Amino acid sequence: MMKQLFIKSAAVCCPDAEVLVPFKLHSSDIDKSLIPAGMRRRTSMTTRMAITAAKLACSQANSDTQNLASVFASLGGEIQVTDALCRLLPDDNELLSPTQFHNSVHNTTAGYWGILNQCQAPTTAIAAADDTFAMGLIEVWAQLQQQGGGERLLVCYDELWPQYLAPPIGQVAFACAFVLSSEGEQSIGAMTIPQVLSGNQQDLQPEWLKLTESAPAAAAIPLLLALQSKTAGSVPLNIKAPLWATQFVA
Amino acid sequence: MKTMENNHALIEPVAVTAYSALSACGMGNKALYQSLSANQSQLAPLSLFNITFPSYVGEIKHPLLDIGDQLADYNCRNARVALTALNDQQGGVRDAVEVAKEKYGAQRIGVIIGTSTSGLYETEAAYGVLLEEGKMPDDFHFVTEHAYQATARFMQLELGLTGVCYAISTACSSGAKAIAAGQRLINTGVCDAVLVGGVDTLCRLTLRGFRSLELVSSQPCTPMDKNRKGISIGEAAGLLLLEKCHADNASAMKVLSVGESSDAHHMSTPHPEGKGAALAMTNALQLAGIQAGEIDYLNLHATATKINDSVESRAVFSVFADTVPCSGNKGITGHTLGAAGALETIIVLAALQQQFIPGTQGLKELDEDCQCQVIQEPLQTQGMQIAMSNSFGFGGNNASVIVSL
Repeated sequence: MMKQLFIKSAAVCCPDAEVLVPFKLHSSDIDKSLIPAGMRRRTSMTTRMAITAAKLACSQANSDTQNLASVFASLGGEIQVTDALCRLLPDDNELLSPTQFHNSVHNTTAGYWGILNQCQAPTTAIAAADDTFAMGLIEVWAQLQQQGGGERLLVCYDELWPQYLAPPIGQVAFACAFVLSSEGEQSIGAMTIPQVLSGNQQDLQPEWLKLTESAPAAAAIPLLLALQSKTAGSVPLNIKAPLWATQFVA
Repeated sequence: MKTMENNHALIEPVAVTAYSALSACGMGNKALYQSLSANQSQLAPLSLFNITFPSYVGEIKHPLLDIGDQLADYNCRNARVALTALNDQQGGVRDAVEVAKEKYGAQRIGVIIGTSTSGLYETEAAYGVLLEEGKMPDDFHFVTEHAYQATARFMQLELGLTGVCYAISTACSSGAKAIAAGQRLINTGVCDAVLVGGVDTLCRLTLRGFRSLELVSSQPCTPMDKNRKGISIGEAAGLLLLEKCHADNASAMKVLSVGESSDAHHMSTPHPEGKGAALAMTNALQLAGIQAGEIDYLNLHATATKINDSVESRAVFSVFADTVPCSGNKGITGHTLGAAGALETIIVLAALQQQFIPGTQGLKELDEDCQCQVIQEPLQTQGMQIAMSNSFGFGGNNASVIVSL
């Protein structure tokens, strides 16, 4: 069994940088210049955020994006597009936009990412409520171990949600991306396979708990902070029991 | 009979120790086999809700089980369809999970379920209330009903499992990709067994969305037919318990591999030459360590839209020429979207087990564009050992599953 997953790069896209001040975490706003104009017009906030984070992580790791398989992990995915369509459905006579319809699928971001990079490598889109980030790491782990080498892009993201759906989820938008590898060369850190912890959440940072309740993808913040400060130790990957954690190796 | 010993598989097979399908064909594998062997369409006008255009659908008419009080927050049609398939005695998936739990422990069994719209049918009704009353109904639970992982999580809790659990939602390849994820999790030792599958149910968004793309046929769909006019949507649950291969499941059928690829072309239109589709098939062959000539039957994605079928036939021809018998089941079951990859893997298992090649219901006159060997009427056969099932989704997301006796 693979013992460690190596992290080659990490990037964050958060349109409201204020919320990250308590964490002293470096982040970028959505960078529209990373997405060609034609695609930009058709894509939502969630896709633009995820692509911004993914592009930044890939350029830091100097990845070959045309051949890089990827995992897109999000609780709500294209929730704004889906919401706009759902608002039309109670009227039997309302016509839906065909573009909005195909843009409502969970793998919309994955699809646009593939088109943008002319990448025919496999891509997947997963969801696991509060455990979305942890399960994204496990999916990447299994893919890399199975392949016996190589790199994967993991993007974890959720945009702003209408607040009648599942408050406070979606009060804050947050996306992050990692290039992960089975090889240690040029890595900035490494981690063990995510596992369920026995115990409770007493020592979890309150600011992080609060933010992650509103922005599910912010579950990645402790790992991002461990990378930034190069601090080894146990890193939580979700905020609700059963708790998943990894051992970070600086 | 072909032997596997001399081949170089890049992935270990996993055993399918139990499986069950619930669809318009009815409950269980026997009902599915009956419809397939009789080549009998189960498509009928929609009765679940109102739409303003003519359409035939593969609707589940079998009574659905109720969700228990403890998991009431998960109650939606998708979860009820999943529970009904899970508890099907004949398929025995629930019993097999219980046995696996004893053997491996609750934490060692994963749940990976593909879906495209999860509990959206109920969400649509909730939006009716929202628009009228300004707030969602009190019993609306977004995360446990609508969100993509809701059905996977429901089954995990229902079965008392505590390990890896997530949804894969890559549109119409979701169910096939769940099988891929399950095989990997077992092979890499992350799990000892994984309940995989696809569960998707009829809802307004998909009916009216595909209508907006002008892809819905007003008549029962006719895959690969010269005069095909679009898809008929269906709903289904296809559940499979995957386990490590060992001596006590040596007689179980196996998943050999799942090949995956991306089109990198367009969100809703396949690559015109079928490059992505061909790549998924060749990746599956390569992973399984077998040659194209070893595939005895290919279950096509064959949605019955003009472009999808012609692109798929081109891709199939590029990999197999016209040597492999192919057919598509969507004229019987409808296109069950996120469940299709799992339902159609079960159809392929049924074909191997019963040694028959399903027909292509609705096909009258083969499109002259289609060069592959499309089987119209079901055929009894023998010596069938290995078969493949194709699933291609929006976003250019492709998966091909290979199973063997």
